[in-house]
Amino acid sequence: MRFAVDTGGTFTDLVLEDDKGILHMFKAPTTPDDPVRGILDGVRTAAQSFGEAPEALLGRGELFIHGTTHATNAIVTGTTARTALLTTKGHPDMLVLREGGRIEPFNFRVPFPRPYVPRSLTFEIPGRIAADGAILEPLDETAVLEVFGRLRERRVEAVGVCLLWSTVNPLHEDRVGQLLAEHLPEVPHTLSHVLNPILREYRRASSTSIDASLKPLMSRYLGGLSRRLREAGFRGRLLMLTSQGGVMDAEDLTQAPIHAVGSGPSMAPIAGRHFARLDVRADTAIVADTGGTTYDVSLVRRGSIPMTPETWLGQRYRGHILGFPSVDVRSIGAGGGSIAWVDEGGLLQVGPMSASAVPGPASYAKGGARPTVTDAALVLGYVDPAYFLGGAMKLDVALAEDAVRRDVGVPLGLGLHEAAAAIVSVATENMVGAIEEITINQGIDPRGAVLVGGGGAAGLNSVAIARRLGCTKVIIPELGAALSAAGAIMSDLHAGYRALHYTVTDNFDVAGVNRTLAGLLARCRSFLEGPGTGAAEHSIDVVAEARYRHQIWEIDVPIPFHRFEGGDQVAGVREAFHRAHEEIFGFGDPGSAVEFVGWRATVRCRLRGRGLGRLAREKGYRVKLPSSRKAYFGDTGLVEARIELFDALRPDRPLKGPAIIESPFTTVVIDPGAQVLRKRSGTLVITP
Amino acid sequence: MRRSRKTRTVRRKAGARARPPRALDPVTLAVLSKRFDSITTKMANTLLRTGRSGVLNLAKDFSTSIVTRDCELLTGAETLPIHVLSGADLMARSMIDLHPVLRRGDAFLHNSPYHGGSHPADHTILVPVIDERGTHHFTVWVKAHQADIGNALPTTYMAEARDVYEEGALIFPCVKVQQDYEDILDIVRLCQMRIRVPGQWRGDYLAMVGAARIGEREVLAMAEEFGWETLHAFTRAWFDYSEQRMIAAIRRMPSGEARATSTHDPVRGTPPDGITITVGVKIDSDNALIEVDLRDNPDAMPCGLNLSEACARTAAMIGIFNSIPESVPTNAGSFRRIRVHIREGSVAGGGRHPTSMSVATTNLADRVTNPVQVAFSKIHDGLGLGECGPIMGASLAVISGRDPRHGNEPFVNQIFLLDTGGAGAAAADAWLTICHAGNSGMCFIDSVELDELHFPLVVKERRLVQDTEGAGRMVGAPAGYCEYGPVAGASLDVVYTADGLRNSASGTRGGLPGAPIRNYLRGADGELKELPGIAAIQLRPGETVASYCAGGGGYGPPHERPVHKVKEDVEEGWITRQRAQEVYGVVFADDGDADMQATAARRAALAAAATA
Repeated sequence: MRFAVDTGGTFTDLVLEDDKGILHMFKAPTTPDDPVRGILDGVRTAAQSFGEAPEALLGRGELFIHGTTHATNAIVTGTTARTALLTTKGHPDMLVLREGGRIEPFNFRVPFPRPYVPRSLTFEIPGRIAADGAILEPLDETAVLEVFGRLRERRVEAVGVCLLWSTVNPLHEDRVGQLLAEHLPEVPHTLSHVLNPILREYRRASSTSIDASLKPLMSRYLGGLSRRLREAGFRGRLLMLTSQGGVMDAEDLTQAPIHAVGSGPSMAPIAGRHFARLDVRADTAIVADTGGTTYDVSLVRRGSIPMTPETWLGQRYRGHILGFPSVDVRSIGAGGGSIAWVDEGGLLQVGPMSASAVPGPASYAKGGARPTVTDAALVLGYVDPAYFLGGAMKLDVALAEDAVRRDVGVPLGLGLHEAAAAIVSVATENMVGAIEEITINQGIDPRGAVLVGGGGAAGLNSVAIARRLGCTKVIIPELGAALSAAGAIMSDLHAGYRALHYTVTDNFDVAGVNRTLAGLLARCRSFLEGPGTGAAEHSIDVVAEARYRHQIWEIDVPIPFHRFEGGDQVAGVREAFHRAHEEIFGFGDPGSAVEFVGWRATVRCRLRGRGLGRLAREKGYRVKLPSSRKAYFGDTGLVEARIELFDALRPDRPLKGPAIIESPFTTVVIDPGAQVLRKRSGTLVITP
Repeated sequence: MRRSRKTRTVRRKAGARARPPRALDPVTLAVLSKRFDSITTKMANTLLRTGRSGVLNLAKDFSTSIVTRDCELLTGAETLPIHVLSGADLMARSMIDLHPVLRRGDAFLHNSPYHGGSHPADHTILVPVIDERGTHHFTVWVKAHQADIGNALPTTYMAEARDVYEEGALIFPCVKVQQDYEDILDIVRLCQMRIRVPGQWRGDYLAMVGAARIGEREVLAMAEEFGWETLHAFTRAWFDYSEQRMIAAIRRMPSGEARATSTHDPVRGTPPDGITITVGVKIDSDNALIEVDLRDNPDAMPCGLNLSEACARTAAMIGIFNSIPESVPTNAGSFRRIRVHIREGSVAGGGRHPTSMSVATTNLADRVTNPVQVAFSKIHDGLGLGECGPIMGASLAVISGRDPRHGNEPFVNQIFLLDTGGAGAAAADAWLTICHAGNSGMCFIDSVELDELHFPLVVKERRLVQDTEGAGRMVGAPAGYCEYGPVAGASLDVVYTADGLRNSASGTRGGLPGAPIRNYLRGADGELKELPGIAAIQLRPGETVASYCAGGGGYGPPHERPVHKVKEDVEEGWITRQRAQEVYGVVFADDGDADMQATAARRAALAAAATA
């Protein structure tokens, strides 16, 4: 049995795959003061549904896959550890100067970014390694110990160490690491050459600082999660989602928590690609995950998961560089919990702030007084107050009406329904804007694309969004309400290793390269024998990072073997480089020698031997709903909308809007004029 | 709300005037504008990733853009301002004038400042985009600062050249360099005989042509998808839209006029006090027009600092766009609301052959941009900026020599080891790494590791310097310090052309000036010896050059800087407590918090002194 849990800002989604391969989906409110409690609540809900004790259910679990926004939130809210950076003497301003670069050259209203680690917590370490690894100046250990004294004085909670050329000769960095372990054992640290052995000191220093700053918090979180899961009966393996769209063991993530940054939404495109292929045979899809707090969008193009090679926290050149590639997902503050308000200029705004899980929308009657998108949907008749989350939570229509009327209707002089419809329209516009960012702003026309709607609140306005964008189809998978968790269930275990070994084609160092490759492959094998044990299947991909002589940006050339036997293979790889260069940049320079700089091996283990099963019919479906209710649409006013259970829709029998499709997890609104068809896979395919 | 109204305006206009084959709805307008932008970006990425010299692949000292068949600038937003705003239009025009018959597969090499080029170091590849019937529709364009162009000295900036002959650059007045997509090898060989490290030049040339061909391919693909007439209808609609945005922006600014001056340090060939540039700026809010007058300036001089027409116009336009307090698209549409007046034969634009314009993109151009943005600040508190720092000390030198680590292979390249120089602006502190006014921070700063990998040098130090900021309500950037020298067994030629030893960046509206530029030679004995503004030196093993880059000027009186910001400046080591007290009037108690009473008194005294 496998568990996949995605902790979002509002809901904690649990997808459970039982031993027969049948999937089960559960939702519980996120508990921000102690997110693990929300996870255990989800498990308890699942156990009830199975009629088992939670311990018994967890005891059957082999894998527990977890994604969390914990790391990202900590950075955004500035609650990471008080972190110091130790750099080479003479070079204290790596994080201030960055690599220069700017967007919007004529915009002088944006301040220069602050360094990730303040200057007052950056300390210079005497000792210098040269580009060839030679020691120009020995490490001054007395000075290092003096710096440690200042770290204690400043009550530093984590330390990043990034010394020049540690990637070529790690001697000094390793020694500083040893000294830290000896003298400040309670303060976690990150060494740049261990975490991310890349050239370019700013990128390495940025990676290192971000990673160190997350260590105390993420070890606390993961330690607590692991302990409490075990106390609750779980004896299997705890895996964590990464920003690169895979999973790694929780233990390993505590050693490099930077990989958790942005990991939460990274799974939605994986699930979205799966359903777009399966249900409408599309390989280009806009995948939108509407949670309570954020709207996360990504674009799957030609079947590829969108990756960004230079991940920035925040805007390019204005935020901080992660120094690792990651799945490219954009987030905006828009979701079911987004608060509607009228600004001082009289303009209706929705979000970016959210009522979150606590206090929640006004209709939750948990103390939230401000109207949210969910409240507006309730007022409009889109959401059934008695059947929200399958009836698990009763909503108070009167509270929603009061809030919408008071905060939006009265200030704007609109009637109740008009006000509620305006809230949904503004939310729709915000979401359309986010999709335009990843489509139109990249010069890609969203018209004709497929929109995959995931997340609990997706169904409220996906038809409206698709109409605004001119999308031809909207698909809402059965598992859509927990799209990220669904992606997690189908994700691979992965690890990547990288080593620097410089050589040129006209003087190729076969022995040296083979030694490097052998080292990387040995690490892959030990991964397979350790974390990868029991994988359904695995693959190891070797890539050379190569360039023409005097270029400085490498491109990846796949190496289809594990060892160079002779000149033919060198010539083959050289040819492959010319072709790759031609393909990416439109020209090659066959007369030029090719330099190889870095070598990478990536090991991926498929954790599942079978395809994804269907969603079980949950208890929440065993209800009798009225056959119709009044719903308000901007174009038509109040109309009678047909009510259908998601699960009861007959495949291949289309249904025309206005209609509302209910499930224990979501509500899908089919606007007048739209049409919906349920596929045998369980997915709703809507023609907007 | 405002935006949607404008979009509707655009749609109506486009429909009425252009009658495109397919209605240009707002979505198509947005999609096409972004698509053209993304082609420009794709060309830039190609050049960055495939260039061979550090000036391209590290510093990104290049630009890409697309020009209409009428030679109007369509894109070029996210590139170096000094390369693009004016120049692309002039160069494309010269291509059409000099080569009346254009064929698909042609490419042109252009670097002539006498034909619309910025300065000879900026080699530009122009590719006319031509359909199957032979009709020219757009011109794609790649301009890149070269590591070397065959000047008399190993530098791309010949500040003291009396004329183009002494300068020594090969000048290409839009010369055909490819036909039928094949190189015209005569031209390539000509360059290889004259340009230092010819293999590096050839690699950069391939990268530039590659980038331009990618742009061509993408525009052809767009035409395939949308049709040429839709693309032309788009350009008209987009220019109209951009003009409307510019009109709205200018109407929100107050009308007014101001003059300002800025002085470049003297070099051989200038008067002993240097070159003073005077600009007149006029905002006409009612007619939504901004004018800059550069006519009241001296005649061209026998030195390499003279501005080309492209650089003079662009430098003024940068000052304008920097000062408009909102973002407006920069293209031929918004340019309709700008007038830049230049006088032919003057130092500020329009020098005639054989006047040298070797250094036209940086030094004197900044002495045009800076007073323009200062003049805006004089018209209204809330507009404009102080002056950005002057540049081109040894931290941005052209270095050359032989690399003993690679079989004494020759190398030549400009390094971008350190620049700061941002000016305090009306609404924000300096953008620290602005490089210089015409660059606007778009160049990268070299990674120390990459410089040490590619050249036989060691960077001993690179840091920002305390108490050197241009003090103000909004502060200008502090100076930076760097020091480097050759690795054991190597020597290093260092050539630079600095402005700002005498004339540092001024502040405005009571803001203080930025720190001046300084360069020193450190001998093997450790002694520092100050170097002049323009120098060509050879460093032997054990010697280093130490360089302070200039800071930027502040905006508004320092005693108006919010106390919490001054406190943070002290905590973060940007300034000392002493400077906080003396210059900003913030007095600290022993616990590190501001003593509000003493601060109020000190600030009142500073304000009184400022009024007096």
